[in-house]
Amino acid sequence: MSDRRTRLMPGALAGLCVAAAVAGWANTANAADPRADLFQKFQTSVKGKTVAWVPVWLGVLESEWTRVMKAHFDDYGIKLVMRDPNFKSDVQLQAVSSLINDKPDILIVQNPTTTLLARELKRAMDAGIKVIQVNMASNQLTDAYVGADVPKLGHMLADELIKTCGGGKGSGKVAILQGEATAAYSLDMTKAATEALNADKSIKIVSSQPTNWDANKASEVTTNVLQQNPDLCGIMSVWGPQTAGAAQVIKNAGKQGQVKIFVASDGQPADCDMLEQGLFTKNVSYRADTQGEAIVNAVLTLLQDGRPAGTTQYAYYTTNYWVSSKDDRNYCFVVPKE
Amino acid sequence: MNGLRRLWYRYSPQLLVGELLEKRWMEPAVPFTLLILVFSVFILTIPGYTSLPQLQQLMRSFPEQGFVAMAMAISILSGGIDLSVGAVFATADFLTLYLLQVQEWPLPLVIVAVLLWGALIGAINGGMIAYAKTRPFLTTMVVLIVLRAAYNKITGMYATELAGASSDSGAWDYLGIGFVLGMPINMFCLIVIGIIAHLYLTRIRSGVHIMAVGSSRKAARHAGIDVKRSLFLAYVLSGMLSSFAGILYAARQNSAGTDTGVGWEVNALAAAVLGGISLNGGRGTMSRALMGAAIIFLLINGLVQLGTHGSLTTAAIGAILLAAVGFNVKFVKNKSKILQKIYVSPNLVEFTPPLSIERNSGTVFAENDRLKDAEAIALDCIEGPEDVILDRNDHLYTVNRNGSIIRFLAPNYEQRDEFARIGGRPLGMAIDRDENLIVCVAGMGVYGVKPDRTVFRVTDETNRTWYRFKDDSRLWLADDLDIAPDGKIYFSDATTRYDLSDWALDGFEGRGNGRLVCHDPATGKTHTVLANLAFPNGVCVSHDGRAVLWVSTWLCRIYRYWIAGEKAGTVEILADNLPGYPDNINRASDGRYWLALVGLRSPVYDLAMADPAFRLRMVKQIPPDEWLCPGINFGCIIKFDDSGTVHESLWDPGGISHPTITSMREHKGYLYIGGLENNRIGRLRLPEADPTWTGSDSYWGKRKQESPKPKLAAARTEHVASA
Repeated sequence: MSDRRTRLMPGALAGLCVAAAVAGWANTANAADPRADLFQKFQTSVKGKTVAWVPVWLGVLESEWTRVMKAHFDDYGIKLVMRDPNFKSDVQLQAVSSLINDKPDILIVQNPTTTLLARELKRAMDAGIKVIQVNMASNQLTDAYVGADVPKLGHMLADELIKTCGGGKGSGKVAILQGEATAAYSLDMTKAATEALNADKSIKIVSSQPTNWDANKASEVTTNVLQQNPDLCGIMSVWGPQTAGAAQVIKNAGKQGQVKIFVASDGQPADCDMLEQGLFTKNVSYRADTQGEAIVNAVLTLLQDGRPAGTTQYAYYTTNYWVSSKDDRNYCFVVPKE
Repeated sequence: MNGLRRLWYRYSPQLLVGELLEKRWMEPAVPFTLLILVFSVFILTIPGYTSLPQLQQLMRSFPEQGFVAMAMAISILSGGIDLSVGAVFATADFLTLYLLQVQEWPLPLVIVAVLLWGALIGAINGGMIAYAKTRPFLTTMVVLIVLRAAYNKITGMYATELAGASSDSGAWDYLGIGFVLGMPINMFCLIVIGIIAHLYLTRIRSGVHIMAVGSSRKAARHAGIDVKRSLFLAYVLSGMLSSFAGILYAARQNSAGTDTGVGWEVNALAAAVLGGISLNGGRGTMSRALMGAAIIFLLINGLVQLGTHGSLTTAAIGAILLAAVGFNVKFVKNKSKILQKIYVSPNLVEFTPPLSIERNSGTVFAENDRLKDAEAIALDCIEGPEDVILDRNDHLYTVNRNGSIIRFLAPNYEQRDEFARIGGRPLGMAIDRDENLIVCVAGMGVYGVKPDRTVFRVTDETNRTWYRFKDDSRLWLADDLDIAPDGKIYFSDATTRYDLSDWALDGFEGRGNGRLVCHDPATGKTHTVLANLAFPNGVCVSHDGRAVLWVSTWLCRIYRYWIAGEKAGTVEILADNLPGYPDNINRASDGRYWLALVGLRSPVYDLAMADPAFRLRMVKQIPPDEWLCPGINFGCIIKFDDSGTVHESLWDPGGISHPTITSMREHKGYLYIGGLENNRIGRLRLPEADPTWTGSDSYWGKRKQESPKPKLAAARTEHVASA
C-alpha cells in the first residue's frame, strides 16, 4: 500500500498542481463575478443529486409536500425518487431498506411510529445518506427535522380549550382525539396538551383515544364520549381529516356550536371548508405548502453542507396560523388541478 | 429426412411433457412459473435488484409473511381455515415488545411466553372447532375481531411506553438484524421451520393425520384417526407459527403500530390459493403456501420500488392475483384433461406388407379351419382366460378377470374350483420346479401360488430408469413369464405408460414403453434386462434353456435373448413381419414353439402406424369407439422353430369360438387355447403330437410329485409368504 502510494505520489502531486493552477485561473477569471461563482458552487453541490422520499402514504398532505418538492427539485436539477407504501408499515420499512441500498444523497421520511424506521435511519446515516424527517419524527435524531413544533401545537390547542371551557365557562369536560398512538406527532402533541390541561383544575379530560387518523374511528370514539358525557364542552383533535368524523357526530347530535372543536392540521382545503361550515371551531394550520418549501430548504442546506451524514441536527420548525373564519382562507393551500 | 422424422417421433418432447404433467410436483407449476416471472420482471425493471444487499433485504422482509401463510396453510390443509392468523401475529408482536421492553423479561422467556400465547389462541380456535364443532370460518373470524379489538385497545394504552422503550439485548438485535450463513436470521428460521413443517405434514404420523383429516374427515375417522385431536393440533400449530412470526417481526420492526397484521389473513389466504392449496383441504404443501406468499410479497415490494402510486399498487396486485388464481384453479382442475390430450405420443412404425394369409395363397399363414374342431371347456364358467396351464396331475389352471386363479379338475374339466385369489388382473402363468404357480398380475407384479394355495409375492418392482420423469420402478403391466433352468424368472412388463385397459393407446404409440425383466429368486433381486421394448408380450425359455424367446406385439416380431453360452446378453430378431400381433409363446412337444396371434394386421392399420400425426389426431378428435384399432376379432395359432421359421398355422376363421387368442398350451397330445376376452377354453386334439409330453416334464424333467425340493428356495418362498 505504502509502496503504491509512494509511486503514485509524484503523479498525484503533478495532478494537484495542474488542478490548482486551473482552479486559480478559473478563480481569477471569475473573480470579477463572485455571484456567478456562488451559483457555480451551488450547481456543483445540488445538480444531479438524488433525493428519496418515503411518506406514510400519498394523502392530500403528502401529495402537497411532494408537489412542492417536485416543483423546486425540477428547477434545481435534483432527482426525486418517491415510494408510496400506502399506509402499510411493513411495506414502508421495506421501501426504506431498499432505498438505503440504492444510496440516494438525501433520504426524507415521514415516520408512522417513533420506532418503526429508527434503526434503518441510523443505518442510512451510517451508509452516508443524510436523513430528513418530516412532521412525524422517530426516536432516532437525524441530520434534519422539518415540520411543526408539535408540543407547541398541543399547548395552543390546550390553551384554547382552557379559554373556552375552563374557569367555569363550560362544563370543563374535554376530549382528546389522538392520531396513531405511537406516532411522534400524535404522541407529543397529546402529551403537551394533557400536561397543560391537567394543570388547570377546572378542566377534566374525559377521553384521550387514538383514532388512527381515521374519520370513522373518530366518529365512533366521539359517539361514545358524547353518550357518556352529554355535557362535553370541547374536543381537541391532532389532525383535520380524522376530525371530520367527530364533527359530523357533534352536528348530528345537534350540539354544533355547543361542543367546541379545536384542530391542529396541515391546512388542506377541507380544513378550511369545515371551519367555514362551522363544523370546526378553530383550526391551527401549519401549512403543508410552506412546509414543502422548508423541506426543500433543508435539502439544499444538507446538500451544500460538506460534512458527512449524521453530523448535524438541524431543525426547521414551521410556523402555525390560526384559522377562525373565512378571512383566514389563505392559510389553507389549494390543491392544483392536474 | 425420414431419419429425422423417425428421431423426432422417437424422442418426442410430447412424451416428456406428458410424463412431466403426470408428476405430483407439477401441480404448483403455475405459481412457480409466476414466481420466476415476477422475479425476472423486477430484475429487468429495477436496477440493482439482484445485488447482494437488495437480495438480503428481500429475504429479511419476507419471512414473517411466509410464516403467517404457513399458519394459514396448515389450517386449510386440515380442512378448515384460520382467519385469526393476522391478529395472533399482531398480538404476538405487541406481547413480545411489551414483555421484553416494558416488563424487561429475558429474551428466551419472552419467546416461550409468546409461543405459548399463540398456542393458547390456537387451542381456543381448535377447541371450539374440533370439540364444540363450531364452523372454522366464523370461529376464527370472531377470534380475529376480539383479538384485533384487544390489540388496538392495549397498544393504545401502552403507546407511550412502547414508543420510548428499547432493549439493549444483543440477542434481541441479532434476532432483528443478524445473519446466519450470509442469510438474514429470520429467513434462516423460515427455511428450517418450513422444512420441518413439510416433513411433519408428509412424514410424521400426527402431521399426516392432519392431511388425512383435511382430505376426508369421514375416511380419516374410519381409518381410526383421532379427528378431533388432529384438528385441534392443526389450529394450535397455526397459532404458534403466527406468534413466532410476531416475535421475528417485533425484533425486526421494533414497533407495534395499529396497522400491524391488518389484512394479513387475507394475504395469507390469497397466498394459499395462489399456491394451489385446495380450500377443500388435504391437498397442498408448505412450499406451495410459501410460493404464493413470495409472489404476493415480491409484487408489493417490487411495485413500491418502482415508485407506483399506492392505490395503483393495490389495484394491480388485486388484478394479477385474480388472474393468477383463476388460471391456477383452472390449471389444477384441467391438468388431467390436458394430460389426456397430450399424453398419447405416437411413434413412427414402418411396416412392409407381410406374407399373405389368404386361404389359397399357399403360404404357411394361409387360412384354414383347424381350430374349428376345438371343443369348449368351461364354457361360460370363465371370464377372460388370458393364459392356461396344466400341472403334473393334468389339472387345468387359468386366470380370471376378477383377479383369481381358477382350476378345472382333470380328467373332464367340469369341476370349477377357485384355486387362489390374487387380485389385479392375472395374465401369463408358469409352473416352477417346486410346482408353485407363478403368475404375472397386471397392475401388481409377479405373484406365486403354492400347491397349498398360499399366495406369495415374487416381485413388484425393478430398477428405475434414471432419465425418466415417470417412476417406472413399479411393475406396471406384467404380462407373461417363463422360468429358466437356473430358476430365474424372466417376464415381460408390457408397458410402463398405460394400464391394461388402455392397451390400445399403447398400440397407437407403438413405442418402446415396455421391458423384459428378470427376477432371481436366489437373491431376491429384480432387474430390467432389456428396456424400451414395444409391448413385449409372450416370454418362453427355449427348449435348450439357453435363450429367452419373446415377442413384440406392436412390431410383430419374435426376438431371442441369449441367457447362456457365448452370446449371453445379446438379443436378435428371430422372425420379423408376422401377419398378426404375436402374444404368448409356449413350448411344443416336437421341439418347436407355439405362438398365439392375438390379432391380425391390416393394410389400413399398417398405414396408420406409418403416420403418427394421423393417429394423434384420431385419439384427440374422435371418440374412442370410433378409433381405428388393431383387428383382434380373429383367431390364429402358429408354430415356429429355433431358427424362426414358421411351420404351420391353425385358424378359426372369423374368430367364432376363439377370437383374440392370447395363449395356448400343449399337454399330452392336446392343445389348450385361452383368449383375453373369451368365455371358454378351447381344447384341440393334436394327432401328430407326443401324447405323453407335458410342459412340466419339458421344463423340470420326468418326475412325479416327490421331487427333491431345494431347501434354500423353499425357505425363501416361505419367508416371502409370511412377509
